[in-house]
This record gives sequence, structure tokens and C-alpha cells, in this order.
Amino acid sequence: MVQTAAWVTSLVFMSLVVVVYAVVAWKSKEKSDYEPIKKKWNKARKVYATTLVTILLVVCIYTLRELPYDLPIYGEGQDPTVVDVEAVQFGWLMSETEFKVGEPIEFDVTSKDVNHGFGIYDEDMTIIAQTQAMPEYTNTVYITFTKPGTYKILCLEYCGTAHHYMVSELTVTE
Amino acid sequence: MSTVIGNNKPKSNNKLIGTSLVIGGVVIAAMMIFGILMLLAQGGVISVSDAMFYQFLTIHGTGMIGAAALAAAGVMWYFLSRYVNLSRKVFIWFLALVLIGVVMVVVGVFSFKFASAWTFLYPLPAISASAWGTIGALLYLIGMLILGTGFLLLYIDTGRAIIKTYGSLGKGLGWDVISGKKRLEDAPPKVVVASTMVTIVNTSALIAGATVLIMNIINVINPSFTFDPLLAKNLTYAFGHIFANAIIYMAVIVVYELLPKYANRKWAVTKLFLVAWTMSTVFTLLIYTHHMLMDFAMPKWMLIMGQALSYANGLPVLVVTAYGALQVVHKSGIKWDMASGLAFLSMFGWTVGVVPAIVDATIVVNHVMHNTKWVPGHFHMYMGLGAVVMLFSFMYYLAKIDSNVKESKLDKIAFWCYALAIFSVSAQFLVSGALSTPRRWAIHYPGWMTPAVFGAIAGVFLVIATSIFIIHFVRYMKNRGTLGSDMNEQETA
Repeated sequence: MVQTAAWVTSLVFMSLVVVVYAVVAWKSKEKSDYEPIKKKWNKARKVYATTLVTILLVVCIYTLRELPYDLPIYGEGQDPTVVDVEAVQFGWLMSETEFKVGEPIEFDVTSKDVNHGFGIYDEDMTIIAQTQAMPEYTNTVYITFTKPGTYKILCLEYCGTAHHYMVSELTVTE
Repeated sequence: MSTVIGNNKPKSNNKLIGTSLVIGGVVIAAMMIFGILMLLAQGGVISVSDAMFYQFLTIHGTGMIGAAALAAAGVMWYFLSRYVNLSRKVFIWFLALVLIGVVMVVVGVFSFKFASAWTFLYPLPAISASAWGTIGALLYLIGMLILGTGFLLLYIDTGRAIIKTYGSLGKGLGWDVISGKKRLEDAPPKVVVASTMVTIVNTSALIAGATVLIMNIINVINPSFTFDPLLAKNLTYAFGHIFANAIIYMAVIVVYELLPKYANRKWAVTKLFLVAWTMSTVFTLLIYTHHMLMDFAMPKWMLIMGQALSYANGLPVLVVTAYGALQVVHKSGIKWDMASGLAFLSMFGWTVGVVPAIVDATIVVNHVMHNTKWVPGHFHMYMGLGAVVMLFSFMYYLAKIDSNVKESKLDKIAFWCYALAIFSVSAQFLVSGALSTPRRWAIHYPGWMTPAVFGAIAGVFLVIATSIFIIHFVRYMKNRGTLGSDMNEQETA
């Protein structure tokens, strides 16, 4: 799950920052000449900066391999179900709401009035995909449900004082 | 070039700067209370009407950024005025325009129920589903325009003064030193470099903001006037992201000035430092597109650029500023007091806040994290534990050098109370984000409530600690000049 990966990654690196600052704060009580410290840590900075740039570069390139904007490659005879989604203060107008597991779906999302956010939540109330619903534009979400169940659509862009009532459901069967 | 030339009346300027800090500090504390109320409502502890919740949301976001920017601009002005001749008149106009803007925004939100959130995403101000009317929308939008004009005036003045003293904004960033035309010893001081960066990015941000505000105002008055919603969104985030981001670039001047002074070490300007600030200038202007990663209609290259440059934007702070601060403090025998402690804490807050920010700027992560509470999680760390702490650090510093108001045990308790409370507030947002809790939702489902309640409790301690900081500074304002120290007029490392 992406959320868990994001959480664990953040925790690891945030803990590292905590440790570094704690050690420096602790060692600040000692007093040493600045020049040798500068020399030593300027040298270390080269290694640190190179490592950091490498990690960021690798992670950046790796995570850019598959993007939610890209049209998936469908198998032969596997035409996607195209669903028209129109957001309106404060509800969702959808051309279809019942789907099968394994059925490739394209949600073409737009808005009749203001900006909304089309967020798909699974049965555990975890987001599995989203896009913005904008007036005058259509954003397409590509998804193939892998589990049956009742999925929820929540508005994820503030759209007015009844924003949190903008909830709808999708049913996915075997 | 780093000779002190400006600000021949530093002590009389302290009143002016102090005013911006008092207003900023008090508004920040007040906005924290709205934050607590929202968390309590989301946690199911209190009942707040939907309309009222979103009014709180609107004032909390607008007020926090506005107040922190106001105080940070005061800090920047204080230090920059030692090197260039800034206009006091312009600063007074800036304060006046900001105050007029704030009053209009508050009246628009609370008297006329305007609740578009700080983002006022077109065409929401005009299409409110009858929740607010034209007057409320116009009061808010015109108030923001007046407030922005105040800031724009200030940056035009800082730009003018930097150009007059250093020749150009490029030279203010030290480009002639980077290119080798000038010796490193003649590089502009850190204060000037940071101020030049902020002048460039915030002038651009404010022009973008004014454009989208004016278009919204016309649309509210005459709905037949329409414009492209994607263009509007680009302008809104170009304004909001840059303006909010620039707060820390103004406030970090405190860290540059205070840590070397307290550690009795020189934090010299190097070519790496100058390159880092040029990188920050460019990246800050370009990375606002990471707010639009879920706008699939955007050109794909702009979204990929949003991710890549957001990653790169972590480098100047991680490799230069934070690293430099750690080097200055390491084994320095530094004298810890409230000012130096808060300066160090703020650098920790900035550094640690970079981590969840970079994670969220990753497109595949953003696909399931965008507009969840993960986003306020990272910026509460960055702003609450970073930028705002820098402002508090400056408050204690000024009180120390310009009055006989002493720090007490209560201040030390407030330090730890603040640090733990803001860390807890940020952490509960991150946990909520990982649980897919949407942000900007007046109600929460049962599974989302616990972190919100925890955050509200932590928020109470945060307000208490902040109040102690502000009371200390208000005491300073009443006893200004009683120490007679010239420390604030000395050239800094």
C-alpha cells in the first residue's frame, strides 16, 4: 500500500533528522576549535551531498516510471468501460455505478460548477485513486478493481459549505 | 560590501518592527484557537455548524499565512536595513494596508459568511450555493488585494534599495561572485542574498495573486465575465505556494544572524551558499505545480517538473542551510537561551518538514495523499516548527538586546511545551493523512476522529506556550530601550 510506504519512509528519514539534531545539540556543550571542525565536515558534506542527490535521483526516476496520467495497455478484446462523471454542488452524477472485478474502467471526470475532487475509497476507507473535477476540463482516472465490495466516492477539493456531504457509492461484484 | 550602511536609527525602528511582530504573534495565537475548534469539531467533541466550520477554515489559513508573513517581513526589514537604505514611510504604509486588508477579510468572513478557504478557487467565490453573497466575497477578495498591495509596496522598496546599493538584483544574489567577476570577500551578506531572493519570488507571487484576485472580483460583480479555471488555479497556487514558502526564507535570516553570534563562530558566505540561494529562487518560482499533480489536464511535463524540482528544492536547505547551522553549533560551547534555542529548533523543524513534503510531491504518492491531512501535516511542521519558531527566536533576541526583561523558567517550560505540542499537532495530521482522512472536511467518520482529538489537546498546549512567548515580547515592547545595549547595531558574522 502506497500510504504505508509513504509513512514508513517518512518515519525513517524524520527519525534520522531527530537523531542528527539531538547529537549536535548534545555535543554543543563541548568546545573545540572551529577550523578543524569545518574542514572535517566540509569534506563529509561532499559524501553526504553525493549520497543525497543519488538517492533523490534514483527515487525520483523510479517513481516516475508509471504515472496515473498514462493510458494503461489493455489486452486484446479488453475494451474499457467509459464512465461519465459530472460533479455538481453537492453530488456526483455518474453514467454507471456497478462494475465487475477485473473490468478496466475509465472515469471521465468533469464539473458543472466549481472545482471538486473525485476520490475513490475502498471498503476500508483507504483512497485508491483520485483526480480533480474541474469545470471546462475532463480528467480521466484509469482503474481496474481487484476486490468486490462497496466503494465510496468522496469530494476531495473544497467546494462549498456542504462539501463533506458530497459522497456517492460504487458497487463492484465478482 | 558587507559594511553596515543603512538604518541610522535602529532603536527607533525597533518599535515599528516590534509592532509587526506583536500583531503577527497575536494573530497567530488567535488562529491557533480556530485550529483547535476545527479539530474538536472533527473529533466529534463539539458541534460547529457547517458554515461556521468553513469560516474558521478560511480565516485560519488566510490569517496564519498573513500574520506569519507580516512578522517575517518585519524581521527581514530589521536586518536588511543595516545594509541598504529602506524607507520607513513605505514600511508604515505596508503595515497600514495589511491592517486594512485584515479588517476587510475578517468582516467578509464573519459578518458576511464568506468561506471559500484561502484558495478562493475560481469560480467558488461567485458560486457559493447561496452560502454567502456578493458583499462577503468582495470584502474578502478586495481585502486580500489591499493586503497584497501592502506587501508588494514593501518588496518594491527592498528591491529598489538592494539595486541602489549593490547594482542589481543579480548582484544581490551574488551572481558576479559566482561568475568570478568579484572576489568572495566582497560577496553580499547573507541577509542581502536572502532578501533579494524573497524580493524576486514574492513580487512574482503577488502579481500572480493580484491577477487572479482581480479576475475573481470582476466575475463576482459580473458573472458573465468568465476565465479559464485551470489558468486561475495556476495563478492561485503560484501566488499561495510562493508567498507561504517565502515566509521561511525571510525568517531564516534570524538563524543566519543569531547562531554564529551565540556560537562565536563565523558563518561565512561561500560560492556554494550563493549557488544554493539562486537554486532556491528558481525552484520556489517553479515548483508550485506540485499542488496540481491531480489536475490531469495540466501538461504532463509541468507535473513531472513539479515532482523533480520539489525533490531538488530540498537540497539547498539539506546541504547548505541546515548543514551550515549544524556545523556552526557542533562542539561550539554555544550559549543556549531562548533565542538561540528557538533558532536551533526552527532549523530542526524546517529540516524534518522537508521529508513528508518530498514524499507528498511524488506523483504516485500524491495520487492517494493529495488533499488528505498529510498535506497540513507537512506544512504545520515546516511553518509551525520552522518559520514561526524563527519569529519567536527573533522576539526573544530583540527583548534581550533592547530591554532589561529577563527570561524566566516559565519561558523555558514554554519552549519544550511548544516543541512537543507542534510536533504532536503535525504528527496527528500525518497519521490522519496516512489513514486517508480528507482535509477541509467539517465532519469526520469515527475511524478518523481520534487523531483530531489528540491534535486539539496538543493545540491547547501550543496556545499556552505561544501566549507565554508573546507576553514576554509585549513586556519587552513596554520596556524597550532599558538595557541600552549596542549589540543590535553591530555588524554580524
